[in-house]
Amino acid sequence: MTSPEQSLITDEHRAAIGRKSEPIEIVVKEEDARRIRDILGDTDPRWADGTGIAPPYIMATLEPTLPWQMVPRVLPNGILTQTEWRMKRHFRIGERLKAVHQVLDIRDRLGGRYGYSVLITMTTDYFDEAGEHVASTLRTITQFDPKGARGGNEE
Amino acid sequence: MTVRYWEDVQQDEELQPVERTPTEELAIEFFGRDNPTNPAFRDAEIGRQQGFGGALVPGLLKLAWITHFVSAWAGEEGRVRSVRAAYRRPDIAGRPLVLAGRVVDKRVEDGVGVVDLEVVTLAEGQPSVRANVQVELPLREQQP
Repeated sequence: MTSPEQSLITDEHRAAIGRKSEPIEIVVKEEDARRIRDILGDTDPRWADGTGIAPPYIMATLEPTLPWQMVPRVLPNGILTQTEWRMKRHFRIGERLKAVHQVLDIRDRLGGRYGYSVLITMTTDYFDEAGEHVASTLRTITQFDPKGARGGNEE
Repeated sequence: MTVRYWEDVQQDEELQPVERTPTEELAIEFFGRDNPTNPAFRDAEIGRQQGFGGALVPGLLKLAWITHFVSAWAGEEGRVRSVRAAYRRPDIAGRPLVLAGRVVDKRVEDGVGVVDLEVVTLAEGQPSVRANVQVELPLREQQP
């Protein structure tokens, strides 16, 4: 795909900016914690079975709750290009969290590995049962057309 | 596991690198077999159709490795506060990754020892993920 002469981001796409999802309930599950611990080979006693504590990278298992219908689709393919996790405390096994997703920004990018691409930045805030903000995720998804992508560095 | 105290950390101190080899199977297990994921994580042909050189390694798997890498370094009383990662180049399953890191800053904030680290994953010697990680470490002076 060659670079378009004007942005492919429409007013309809831009209307998604600032939109928040309804709170989505998530349970921090023992089996998810165990599965990822085992994959990573993590034997840290702080979050071993029976401690009631989840390892910090349990954040990865919360991500698939992202409601993809919230994400404007400008180009056919998407890849995660940036993630930030912020954790105010350890998660407890079995605790129920409320996740609120929001589209923060949509912008074009010319050049680079993906040719013309569209960067969509989203946040997710996690609240515990007392309503305390306990963690957040910020992610950038780069949408691209594979016909315009090339090998090599992103830069 | 030992305790790492904030006072014992030196600026520019390097973390002992570790090697990890991502596979398609690992990616499937990582998300759970019943969870839908990007098919390019488990199928090299789909990865190639999407413009990559094979099955993609999930960014979240690399982020989990980085978090574990720093968490293990921080010791039993340390805590990872934040991880920010930029995925600079796609990684392809089957190719080993080396995780390496160093301390870039340390300070005390509101009585808490804070350390900033830069961490990279290296594929064939080239950075594929660059991350900034912030951890809390215990202060010796606060020990009973």
